[in-house]
Amino acid sequence: MNLYFGDILPFMGEMLTALGMSFGITVASFLIGGVFSVAVYAAKASPVRALSAVASGYIGLFRNTPLLVQIYLIYFGLPVFGINLDVLQASLIALSLNNAAYCAEIIRGGFSSVSKGLVEAGEALGLDAWTIFTRVSLIPALRAVYPSLVNQFVHLFLTSSIASIIGLPELMHAILEINSQTYRSIEVLAIGALLYFASGFLISFVARVAERFLFRWAVSV
Amino acid sequence: MSEEFLGQLAGLLNGAVWTLALCSSAGIAGTAFGFVLGLGQTSSRAILRWPAVVYVTVVRGVPVLLLIFFVYFGVPLLFGVNLDPFLTGFLSLALVGAAYTGEIFRGAIEAVPRGQTEAAHALGLGYADRLFRVIMPQALRIAVPAGTGFLINLVKDSSLIGIIGFVELTRAAKILSNLTLDPLGAFLMAAAIYFVISFVISRTGNAIERRLTPKLGKRARIQESSLTPTGH
Repeated sequence: MNLYFGDILPFMGEMLTALGMSFGITVASFLIGGVFSVAVYAAKASPVRALSAVASGYIGLFRNTPLLVQIYLIYFGLPVFGINLDVLQASLIALSLNNAAYCAEIIRGGFSSVSKGLVEAGEALGLDAWTIFTRVSLIPALRAVYPSLVNQFVHLFLTSSIASIIGLPELMHAILEINSQTYRSIEVLAIGALLYFASGFLISFVARVAERFLFRWAVSV
Repeated sequence: MSEEFLGQLAGLLNGAVWTLALCSSAGIAGTAFGFVLGLGQTSSRAILRWPAVVYVTVVRGVPVLLLIFFVYFGVPLLFGVNLDPFLTGFLSLALVGAAYTGEIFRGAIEAVPRGQTEAAHALGLGYADRLFRVIMPQALRIAVPAGTGFLINLVKDSSLIGIIGFVELTRAAKILSNLTLDPLGAFLMAAAIYFVISFVISRTGNAIERRLTPKLGKRARIQESSLTPTGH
């Protein structure tokens, strides 16, 4: 069989635009889900039994069912309650909720890794709980979760391809569209794979460089 | 419970059986290939190491859905054979799974302290004995939690095989929702079945981990935990 990439060239602009959509929805759902995950973590860590059980249930449900089923539930299931969402809204909500469950677990791991002695030292200095949280445990916790959050971002970027199934015009969707127009399956899938791989690689690389500037001071815990 | 509901549930359970068939066959094949990749990645010979490292890095850096389409469209074009949907699903999940288990095996092998290999060398053990009698029994115990996570991910990824036309659990739920016009009920039932499968896998994994952990006295446990590298 002959590989011929010439047929794909006219579609490169389309693919890059779609890549922009993939990246955009990843950033948006990472931010929305990230903020929500803090609330989920706070609920899970709270001494109120009911609240912590709801948070655990949420995390367990979203981490143990396929993202595709979650997308279907939101896109096809919510209209039963009269909530009609377009493809972009449904994808955004599904990816955000999914991401929040994973991030909540990551954050929990980060805070539990902060040495108890640091918090006790803060208490001994007479700091109140909020100051201890923001000035003592937050930075070491952030530093501990940073690599996992970067991994989760890349993972979210790759799994956002599943939103193509309900028709979100992101990279995977463009790949399938171009495939059905050109029949150059291997070529278009290879270029798509390269775009996904290179983007993920670039994101990790930039994040690693940024890490050096974000956490310059040394904390020995 | 009405008869209608039971009929719907039976349709979904039939899909779930195919999900399990797909995942167990792809899980076994993927783990076998992943074992080879793990050995390759930890090999001291560059010619064995690099192909394994490249395979694992590339497959893990690309969406699973894209790889499924690659097998779906690519295998007939490259090899001139038409695979049925089950085989396409099996092959793509096994190839993806191998990259993930390959990484798990690499991590577990590297987590076994170097002194163990050196001691085995000093005792004059050959490659196979060093691998199967010294390294692997310790590495497997370390690999169990990650292996559990891998299986749960495999079950979740298998939902994507429905896209290429194989009727597994998610596809069965989609078909059911078109019949009953109740997508919420159909997908909630599917989600519940997925949850039960994951729950059973994670409980089994915990039990296996406990079985594999040697029962030591309190002092030995403390010593061991200070020696065992943590992390995953």
